[in-house]
Amino acid sequence: MVGQGVQGLNRGELTSPAPAPVPAGAGAGALGLARGRRKAARAPAPTLDERGGSGIAAAALIGPATFIILAGLLVPIAILFRYSLNKFVPRLMMVEAVTIENYVKFFSDAYYLGVFFTTVKVALFCTVVCLVLGFPLAYVLARTRTRFKNVLVMLVVLPLFVGNAVRAAGWMTLLGSKGVVNFALIGFGFVEAPVEMMFTEGAVIVGIIAVNLPFMVLTLQSVIESIDRSVEEAAFSLGADPWQMFRRVLWPLALPGIAAGVILTFILGMNAYATPVLLGGPEFKMMAPLVYGQMQLGNWPFGAAVSFVLMVTTLVLTATAGYRLQKRYRR
Amino acid sequence: MSSGLAALRLDARTVGSWTLKAAAGLTLCYILLPLVSITWLSFYRQEIPSFPPEGYSLRWYASIVGNARFVDGLLLSLQLGVAATALGLAVGVPAALCLARFRFPGREALNNLLLMPLMVPGVVLGTALYCFHVEAEIATGLPIIGSTIGLLSGHLLIVIPWVVRLVLASLAGFDRTLEEAAQNLGANRWTTFRRITLPMILPGVVAGALFAFVASFGNLEMSLFLVGPGRTTLPIAILQYLEWKIDPSIAAVSVVQIVLIGGAMLITDRFVKISRVV
Repeated sequence: MVGQGVQGLNRGELTSPAPAPVPAGAGAGALGLARGRRKAARAPAPTLDERGGSGIAAAALIGPATFIILAGLLVPIAILFRYSLNKFVPRLMMVEAVTIENYVKFFSDAYYLGVFFTTVKVALFCTVVCLVLGFPLAYVLARTRTRFKNVLVMLVVLPLFVGNAVRAAGWMTLLGSKGVVNFALIGFGFVEAPVEMMFTEGAVIVGIIAVNLPFMVLTLQSVIESIDRSVEEAAFSLGADPWQMFRRVLWPLALPGIAAGVILTFILGMNAYATPVLLGGPEFKMMAPLVYGQMQLGNWPFGAAVSFVLMVTTLVLTATAGYRLQKRYRR
Repeated sequence: MSSGLAALRLDARTVGSWTLKAAAGLTLCYILLPLVSITWLSFYRQEIPSFPPEGYSLRWYASIVGNARFVDGLLLSLQLGVAATALGLAVGVPAALCLARFRFPGREALNNLLLMPLMVPGVVLGTALYCFHVEAEIATGLPIIGSTIGLLSGHLLIVIPWVVRLVLASLAGFDRTLEEAAQNLGANRWTTFRRITLPMILPGVVAGALFAFVASFGNLEMSLFLVGPGRTTLPIAILQYLEWKIDPSIAAVSVVQIVLIGGAMLITDRFVKISRVV
């Protein structure tokens, strides 16, 4: 019953007026958002009693939640923006001002720009790998008819809910100088001495891919499920081989879901915190740890500015991708 | 000739299907690998995480009980999760009912607004709430920065979208005539809600509650900015320990978290099939 509302949402996605939604960086928080916004719930026309029964009832029902989000989310973001225009004076902490010097500092300093571009690069790379690795699993999950399907889906969802720190710990065990991977490499005679894999960009990439894969898989799975299997059969009976079927039938039909999954994983990659901190070590910096570090140092204006840059960058990239896609595939 | 082609085609499909399954299996292993390795580490006998282990032991699980940091973290996370979920249900279920039942201008915008906390990156949300708490503390003079109330209100934010989403989904296939029938038979609104509406949307409410709980319980990025000195949630306690070192005791704590969340999922699954709601 619950599923009825969720399934097939992707079909509506391209026709919806705004770009695909922008999800959270925080663990499970973003799950399922990639499904696209809900189309207006197909509620029946209001009954007499409701038309008379007024907006007061409606307001009473939705008012508290709306107030909490407005006061608890939009006001803080406005304050964050205001803080980013303040000045930081050592010892006085924050001095009220209206200046863009925090933003100028960020975009003119080679170190911060380096952090920015590293983050974009890592996020892009991880997204591509997630798409390549995720598609087969998503397809198998979507097309399985056995009773193991639910178990398989749970196996994909569990790591996602367990949180990034725990999964990073798993990779720390595997990739350490005395970990399983080095043990195997030495055992097979590939290397003489342990390879230092921890605290490298490679380790961070391996970790982020594992963190983001479930999101990609679940997004793709739902869109593939919404594609009628008979179109695949039609392609095969017309003489297509599996690769042609994929290229000419499955890929174009799944494109809205692919876009949603790509956008979601990219944003998660951009905003990754625990994975770069634990697997990248103190030297390797990405945007989210940079924000936390600046706030810890007490430089709130600069921390707020970096935070804002991070949010706006992800929003703009997402909106652009969503908009271009919409234009191209408007039905 | 044509039958030969057909055979060849079938063959390509079989090969394709097996390649696909193998690739899918590899991806699944990749996703699960860190969980398997951390579970394995929790049973090592020695403290240094070097492979192969010298032997196996359960003592790291026993040592959790004595570690106040993790026990306190676990308790705080559980309390937060339960409180945030309860509050989230109290405001989220009515909001979903309103969105499903009433047509009014700006309804779609309101729907998007309620889902917005999921769209703001965790670190940004944390920074924004921190600045907000600073301002609120200056304005009111009350101790808000690092307070449990501040932390709870942050968690309430990330919980609401889950409740709204899942309850709304369960209302989409709802047959309104049942409610009208009840009212025709003399039930008032509250009775109708309790006896007809609530049982019908219960799977959505349960799923929403569990997703909400898990989202709150596992939240790391936002909470980092909101916890006070000496008081941390379990994910933060794990992260801070891992920044220092990795050993089987932290692995055991991680396994406890995995088991708790896995258990919550299994319970949810009894009400709604997980594969249909995620």
